[in-house]
Amino acid sequence: MAQDTNGVKDAGPWITAAHPTYTALIDEKHLVSKLYNMVNVPTGAWIDEHGKIVRPNEVAFVDDRFKNFSGLDSAPYLDALADWVEKGDKSIYVMSEERLRERLTVNNSDIALAAAEFGLGEHLYKSGHLTEAIPHFKEAQRLNPKSWNYKRQAYALSDAKRDYGTTFMDEVEKAGGSKVYYSPPDLRPEVTQKDKKP
Amino acid sequence: MSWKRFTAFFCLFLSMAGVPAWGRQSHATIIYDDRASEVRSVNEEAGRLCITTDDLKRATGFELKPQGICRDELCFPVSKSRLQEFVHESAGKIWFNLVAFANLVQQPIARDESLSIWYFGLRADQRQVLSSLKAPDFTLPDMSGKIHSLSDFRGKKVLLVTWASW
Repeated sequence: MAQDTNGVKDAGPWITAAHPTYTALIDEKHLVSKLYNMVNVPTGAWIDEHGKIVRPNEVAFVDDRFKNFSGLDSAPYLDALADWVEKGDKSIYVMSEERLRERLTVNNSDIALAAAEFGLGEHLYKSGHLTEAIPHFKEAQRLNPKSWNYKRQAYALSDAKRDYGTTFMDEVEKAGGSKVYYSPPDLRPEVTQKDKKP
Repeated sequence: MSWKRFTAFFCLFLSMAGVPAWGRQSHATIIYDDRASEVRSVNEEAGRLCITTDDLKRATGFELKPQGICRDELCFPVSKSRLQEFVHESAGKIWFNLVAFANLVQQPIARDESLSIWYFGLRADQRQVLSSLKAPDFTLPDMSGKIHSLSDFRGKKVLLVTWASW
């Protein structure tokens, strides 16, 4: 799901180059991030055959093209994914409901208002009102400071240094550098459920 | 009770309650469920956004029904004693205060005053889906414009991954 306000114009060339054999969708309004409380890309969630989340939001690198930046190897995540594909709910990587609920981000009133401010900013930008959009993007960033999406997308739509007094890399450095910018997925086996035993 | 009878009853209720006709009319843009609509509005200066019930249906899909404020099967009951928080009659029309409704359904509002644009975010009922562990459904286009829904993939495992060009 491409979280790109400019839609096909920005995401299209990447999809074309990737020749995907999977379904690649365009999400101009960041709807998926809003519904699932996602705060950065790439973020993945596993959904079973019944439409139930079995692993919630986590960093989901499916290749190593950003390994030098993030320090994260995609292999453990891909191995875990393959285990789930093969074993379904018997996979040790399928989380218990208790652990899932611990990991799901509560969509509190600040997070919900941040999404509304961001949505308004997007509408203003797309209707030719970038100047008016910037205060709303800033408010979204203030209300949900964990959202890198709100920073990164807004920066990409204007001159970040001029309009926000910062850049993406400035913010990464403030957060402690690129090697801690992404938290690696927690792939500890789920061993608390009796039904995981053969 | 039919919609016409409900409306007639409601107008009578308003006149008996002595609800005053409110302010100046202007235009506003409402963004509801990420869809923009142009509407006539009144009382924006008072922090209210009152639109006609016709515009309410067109912009949000909600309408006044005897059982409450409803869209399809979804209904938010409103007691008679609270009706005047949401509706008033003026210039022969019934006006609905969308801000009061947003407060009722715990819906965040972002507003650009200079351009009179109102963005209504996810209601509490929409935000609570995650706590059921059911994956929220969505419908989005692919590059060619073909529409896909997550629910189309029911019966298959799905790896949902977000990415971006930025």
